Amino acid sequence: MRVTSTVSTTRAPERAARTTRSRPRKSKRRQIREQQWPAYVFLSPWMIGAVVLTLVPMAVSLYLSFTDYNLFDPPHWVGLRNYREMLTEDPRYWRSVGTTMLYVVVAVPLKLGLALGVAMLLRNLSRGRGFYRSAFYAPSLLGASMSIALVWKALFNDGGTVTDVLDSVGIHTGGWVGNPDLAVYGIVLLTVWQFGAPMVIFLAGLQQISPDLYEAAALDGASRLRQFVSITVPMLSPVVFFNLVLEVINSFQVFTPAFAVSGGDGGPADSTMFYTLYLYERGFTASHMGYAAAMAWLLLIAIGAITLILFRTSRSWVFYADEEGR
Amino acid sequence: MPEPPNGPFPRPGRRAVLAVAAVGLSTALTGTLSACSAASGDTSGITLRFSWWGNDDRAARTEKAVRLFEKEHPGVTVRTSNGDFGSYLQKLATQAAGGGVPDVVQLDYRQISQYASGKAIMPLDGVIEDRTIRTSDMDKDFLRTGTYTGGQFALPMGRGITGYAYDSAVYKKAGIPTPRPGWTWQDWAKANRKIAALGLKSPDGRPYTGSNDGGDNEDVFETWLRSRGKNLYANQTKLGFTEDDLTAFWSFRDRLRREGAIAQARDTVQAKSTETSPIGRRLAAADFTWDAPFPGYTALLGEDIHFAPVPTTDGRQGAYFKPSMLLGIGSQSGHPKEAAQLIDFLLNDPRAGDILGFSRSTPPNRKIAARVAKTLEGPEREIYDYAQTMEKYGLDAPPTAPPPGDLAIQTALKRGYQRVIYGMATPRQAARELIDEANRELES
Repeated sequence: MRVTSTVSTTRAPERAARTTRSRPRKSKRRQIREQQWPAYVFLSPWMIGAVVLTLVPMAVSLYLSFTDYNLFDPPHWVGLRNYREMLTEDPRYWRSVGTTMLYVVVAVPLKLGLALGVAMLLRNLSRGRGFYRSAFYAPSLLGASMSIALVWKALFNDGGTVTDVLDSVGIHTGGWVGNPDLAVYGIVLLTVWQFGAPMVIFLAGLQQISPDLYEAAALDGASRLRQFVSITVPMLSPVVFFNLVLEVINSFQVFTPAFAVSGGDGGPADSTMFYTLYLYERGFTASHMGYAAAMAWLLLIAIGAITLILFRTSRSWVFYADEEGR
Repeated sequence: MPEPPNGPFPRPGRRAVLAVAAVGLSTALTGTLSACSAASGDTSGITLRFSWWGNDDRAARTEKAVRLFEKEHPGVTVRTSNGDFGSYLQKLATQAAGGGVPDVVQLDYRQISQYASGKAIMPLDGVIEDRTIRTSDMDKDFLRTGTYTGGQFALPMGRGITGYAYDSAVYKKAGIPTPRPGWTWQDWAKANRKIAALGLKSPDGRPYTGSNDGGDNEDVFETWLRSRGKNLYANQTKLGFTEDDLTAFWSFRDRLRREGAIAQARDTVQAKSTETSPIGRRLAAADFTWDAPFPGYTALLGEDIHFAPVPTTDGRQGAYFKPSMLLGIGSQSGHPKEAAQLIDFLLNDPRAGDILGFSRSTPPNRKIAARVAKTLEGPEREIYDYAQTMEKYGLDAPPTAPPPGDLAIQTALKRGYQRVIYGMATPRQAARELIDEANRELES
């Protein structure tokens, strides 16, 4: 590495000088190209990381998805069998898809709604906004951790605080964690509780909306609700869209809370068996890594497709202020 | 000294120097990193990783034995980690995938063939030959449970048998005779109904039942099957039971649960250890378990807890002796010699034997077992006597080692029964689904 770099540094000036005289346009491009390589050297830690830690594992995962691989013996090629089995023979696969969809459809709107609501309240706060913003943001920093999920489990377990409080007001749940009808909603609440991250983004978006618009609307006699519907919503729609895409992508990949709350088995009775948890179980409990890899690829494709659909529909409801005049 | 070049050229030159510096720096970094890993290979500070599963009682005893080993081997530090059985297996599989199986690792019977064939654990024949691990006091036939294609890959830590921990005070109160080795599943059902009829309450005010359910437990199912002359597996690729067998097993329990005679659904799904089992939470009078964890029950619940045989079908006992767990050495271990020394210490050192007692069932070293048996009292004496009684009563030959797919089938059984107890499937539907899943598992 050292040798080649010294060589090229000494030669580069000569070559560049020569070409400058004969073909000025090309030489400039060439010179730029020759000046670029130090940039690549500086980028190399990232590029090595991207190749070694992302691209290569992805390629291996794609290969493994067409094999039967139990972690211990060398993988052997089975073609599309994993995909066929998943889509046609495995009832649990479709149940995990259903559970994940339920989670996404319930958790994302609740979380974004709460985030927007609190952001609206904080916007008009003149004092202590920084404090409240940090306070509401804190769960987003903590929420993905195992320890919070375990605290959650303790709260919603049989004999946990939430269960006892509900019992005392006559709502007998018998512990959310052990109840297949409620377990998934315990995890939804854990997710919604982490509304701080989209809230901060909403808050920034709200502050971008010019007060002139509201003043003008108020002069015209528009009510608060009217102002919200006609000014806030359209002006904020790019931010809503951004948060929506982000949350949908994240929610499809929910893993840690379900893993921690169910003790790793997606129970009771598969009620918290999210897609990624089932993927993990197939891979690491049942040792079907090929099957798990195939699941991961279908998830990638599904998330890609859903994101694409979101982008397509966004044209009809997302309003970009800078496109206004065009 | 030559003049530095002028004009438009010095800049790339300087960048190039920086680039070279950066590359140099990064090699320096990796250089230090490899120096680090070399340093950890130094014999003055060896760290062994040792992982196992088990309840608090076993954990405390194991820690104590490990600390004694450290004291006798200055410079060797043993980092221990343990967990409950289910998460332990997953963690180990993850570690095996990354080539990071701990130096000394506790393994389940059904993991041996997979871990040995996949070279996740190393053959021990060398360290046994040079007597780093002594096996002369162990039963040759029993040692065979840790072999794979003729090589010794793991050593059994104990000889275990299933049983039934029950609260004798409650049994007395309900007028139920002490369970004998020939008591039947019908006797069991009757006993549970009697206990439920007492109308006792748990600490949180809920009805007290006769026993945990056990319908989600593969060991209970296997004992029940064997008492009816069948097996879990006919061979490595075929189940030994039918949809009807499983439906009968689940329906029997489902009925008792609906009557309130055995633990309720929400308590069954939360039971993951001695402490969270229905008896551990004082919601039921009994729990299906193994002999090894039994002392943990009395430690938690008091001296009234006793150990009885699993019920039979018309006197035919389904329980059998099985290696309760085995010890192996991770194939990537940097210190196989010290790891072997730790294994030898745990299996053959009389003081370690005294500390560990019967926390992993009867020790495989006959001298240790006899020595420890003399000093045994309380629950450990009880499980020792229990093993003797069962040997005398007569047990069917143990089944061959389960296929690797058994791990998935074990969780499938648990999940299938959860669907039954929450009314999401009838016993027959769930049994049908389990058989399909098990067949897919076994043929792949």
